[in-house]
Amino acid sequence: MSTTNTTNLADVARQAVDLARQKGASEAAATANRTRDVETQWRDGRLDKVSEATTRGLSLQLYVDGRYSAVATSDLRPEALERFITDSIAMTRVLARDEHRRLPEPEFYANRTAVDLSIEDPRQATLTAEDRQRFVKDLEAGARATDKKGAILSVTTAFGDTLREMYRVSSNGFEGGLRGTQFVASAEVSAQDPDGRRPEEGDYAVARFFEDLPDAASLGRRAGERALGRIGSTKGASAVLTMAVDNRSAGRLVSMLLGPMSGGAVQQKRSFLDGKLGQQVGSGLLVLTDEPHVKRGLGSRLFDGEGITARSMPLFEGGVLRTYFIDTYYGRKLKARPTSGSASNLSWKLGSKGQAEMLADLKEGVLVTGFLGGNSNGVTGDFSLGVQGFRVRGGKIAEPIGEMNISGNQMDLWKRLVAVGNDPYVNSAMRTPTLVFEGVQFAGV
Amino acid sequence: MTRRDFVGYGTTALAMAGAGELLSGCATTQRAGGPGGGSDGPSNSIGYFARFGVDETLIRETLAAALSRGGDYSDLFFQHRVATSMALEDGAVNKAFTTVELGVGVRVVKGDQTGYAYTEELTLDAMRSAARTAAAIADGPARPGPQRLHVYKDIPQRYVLKMGWDAVRPEQKLPILEGLNSAAFKADKRVSKVTLSFSDEHGAVLVADSNGRLVEDVQPMTSLYLSCVAEQNGKREQNTYGVAGRAGLDFYSTDRLDRIVREAVGRTTILFEAVQPPAGEMPVVLAAGSSGILLHEAIGHGMEADFNRKGTSIYADKLNKSIAHPFVNIVDDGTNEYARGAINVDDEGNEPGKTMLVENGILTTYLHDSISAKHYKVKPTGNGRRESYRYAPLPRMRSTYMLPGPHKQEEIIASVKRGIYCSNFSNGQVNIGAGDFTFYVKNGYLIEDGKLTRPIKDVNIIGNGPKVLEKVDMVADDLVIDEGGWTCGKDGQGVPVSQGIPTVRVASITVGGRNA
Repeated sequence: MSTTNTTNLADVARQAVDLARQKGASEAAATANRTRDVETQWRDGRLDKVSEATTRGLSLQLYVDGRYSAVATSDLRPEALERFITDSIAMTRVLARDEHRRLPEPEFYANRTAVDLSIEDPRQATLTAEDRQRFVKDLEAGARATDKKGAILSVTTAFGDTLREMYRVSSNGFEGGLRGTQFVASAEVSAQDPDGRRPEEGDYAVARFFEDLPDAASLGRRAGERALGRIGSTKGASAVLTMAVDNRSAGRLVSMLLGPMSGGAVQQKRSFLDGKLGQQVGSGLLVLTDEPHVKRGLGSRLFDGEGITARSMPLFEGGVLRTYFIDTYYGRKLKARPTSGSASNLSWKLGSKGQAEMLADLKEGVLVTGFLGGNSNGVTGDFSLGVQGFRVRGGKIAEPIGEMNISGNQMDLWKRLVAVGNDPYVNSAMRTPTLVFEGVQFAGV
Repeated sequence: MTRRDFVGYGTTALAMAGAGELLSGCATTQRAGGPGGGSDGPSNSIGYFARFGVDETLIRETLAAALSRGGDYSDLFFQHRVATSMALEDGAVNKAFTTVELGVGVRVVKGDQTGYAYTEELTLDAMRSAARTAAAIADGPARPGPQRLHVYKDIPQRYVLKMGWDAVRPEQKLPILEGLNSAAFKADKRVSKVTLSFSDEHGAVLVADSNGRLVEDVQPMTSLYLSCVAEQNGKREQNTYGVAGRAGLDFYSTDRLDRIVREAVGRTTILFEAVQPPAGEMPVVLAAGSSGILLHEAIGHGMEADFNRKGTSIYADKLNKSIAHPFVNIVDDGTNEYARGAINVDDEGNEPGKTMLVENGILTTYLHDSISAKHYKVKPTGNGRRESYRYAPLPRMRSTYMLPGPHKQEEIIASVKRGIYCSNFSNGQVNIGAGDFTFYVKNGYLIEDGKLTRPIKDVNIIGNGPKVLEKVDMVADDLVIDEGGWTCGKDGQGVPVSQGIPTVRVASITVGGRNA
């Protein structure tokens, strides 16, 4: 994290706030952003697609006589911008007044830590087209190396690197900027199932620093193994079973728990967690903290989208719900102190075992390695999700299964959490470990 | 990351696409200019985009830079889009969002390889620089760009508005939202929260390619969602109804507004009586209309030619083979007037038609963009679409539906001893190669002894595309194209689509319920 080289963006944001005030806004905040993105895609032995661009934009929150709008534009020509702000303010004046719409109180901007988040890798600036192409080529080679029987139909690999810069200014005293890099590598493998299906699977890695990516050959190998592992998958019988969810897939379950924790969902009566603060929602193993200051963390930040100073925040302690994600607006509506409207990085109280040991303990059940569609009703907690993975027999991974579904209610599911792994998934800000749940309803044949 | 493609309804789709809080916005900016489209003679060939300083010289010089490394083909995709939305919450229209997008994407194609770059600055320097970046996919001597540009006029006009959204004042939208809010509360005493989102877009695209073709299209869009929470005996339920189309303010007729309230409130309050159905395989009857989601997932994505060209679709070796009963006919159609999935021209400048995917049970045509059409040596089907100038086009669906069949709705329901009837959906997803797909049911009924009995809710259905199509064994004569605002996601790009179907029976599919 640094604010060097964001001067230009800072000027854009400051000028936009000044202009908004001149044109009649009583308060305003502006965020200027610029993103440089390069993506290299490779397929079956040759370059498939290269895209590269630097995009920029400006977003504004306008507070006009107690009324509110949020607007954004990529057209930064001075005349166009002036007209855009003028027209946006005119539009805002037509809306209903809303006493809850104000910028955050400046006290929430205070005490920003000076910690170095280490989220910008200078290596991004020196990567060459050859570096990127070597990576995607090696990814393919890694995947193909797993194919002893000629079952692989196609391999698509990709490498993307991004530099994202933003600077935010508000009329009541907030200023702050952020620069961060991100590297993404992926390999997607299609395999031929003798019955005519062509299952695809793959693997990917995401990191703030290039050096934190796994080497291309081993990432490609995992992708190949995952795809070949899908061959011959069958639909199992409907049954109530113990379910392990691998660390890559577990984020899907966690996101359906976090959504109903938003202040907006609670205030709008759209959350099954409304009224559950301080109550047991999960088993004692559900211990979860929002941790914004993780070095090299994918969700790391010093302040949130409103400028509120980021701090570590317990979400669940021993399965008890400790907080909601409350932004300034819904905080005022709920008469609650704002926390932050969004999550940063999640930090789990990890168990002591890895996936293999957990499956050995589990003995009979299912290891879920992917979800397909489905949804969760945030108001009631009912969910129903498509799954694929493997049967676990005698504590070991057995035959692949697919075209199955799990259903239940979240207030029940999280209490059935019986084991948490020691293997946080570092390619996501949710950092989920392997999770095991008892007594889950599977639908199949 | 994984090749999983989905469709979703309203905000569900946005969340799944990873988009922001609300994508849309309001039409207060950029009042200048009349309608786009072609005009007379090469001296005046740029219509809508002339206001941004785009002229033939700029286009020709950019195309020349794009071909400077020997690409086979290049196109420029200019886009201006002003999206506005106004939202009602807690009884007041108290927030509005506007997003303005202006930019140009430059694509260079060499064989089936693509170079892509874009810029938000429509200046010669910025565009030439983007063009040189995209050009690097090729590595050979420069090829000449087009000497003359030929304007494509007389493209069909499927969404001509009496008044563009840029001319509609925000004050004209407020009474619609306020009226719906009070009507929803009046409709049922159990309604305790109502939120509304009214979105509209105006703007245009211009495609110019190295064959000298130049075509502009003005593309309006609007959508309206009503979502309500109801409470009964300490329990809460919530549901949504929405409508969308490439239409103007007159889309919001009294009939349509009444229907929005009736459907949103009815779909919510019935949930108090609803249960999750049993788990396992059973016959499923899909109601006419939004059940077209089945086609989108079970076959539509798998028929997109890029997956077949790469050999990764489960349909890759099934062309001209029988895959369904002879009364099954499935089309992907860009020509339905004012539909959300309608286009006058695709995002590569090709004319869309009505493409038969399945004719009399036989798989007939893939959905092509220009790259796959060249590979298969067929004419493009006008399915080359993209989310915005930030993306290269891909083969995408438009409005996908099944044609009417020989059966009657009543006989289909009466034919099922024990199964479910599904009427409303929120989202679906597919694995293209394995063929497994899902769709999530928000409302429906149990069928017991040929009759609809208990309401059901919140259940995911999972099947395998080709296997399920074989099992579509009854098709009614009551085709409905759904009016909802569906967004299809693929490779991180969302595009507006429509879908429809008559009442159909699937003999057996896995229902993800409870208590097997």
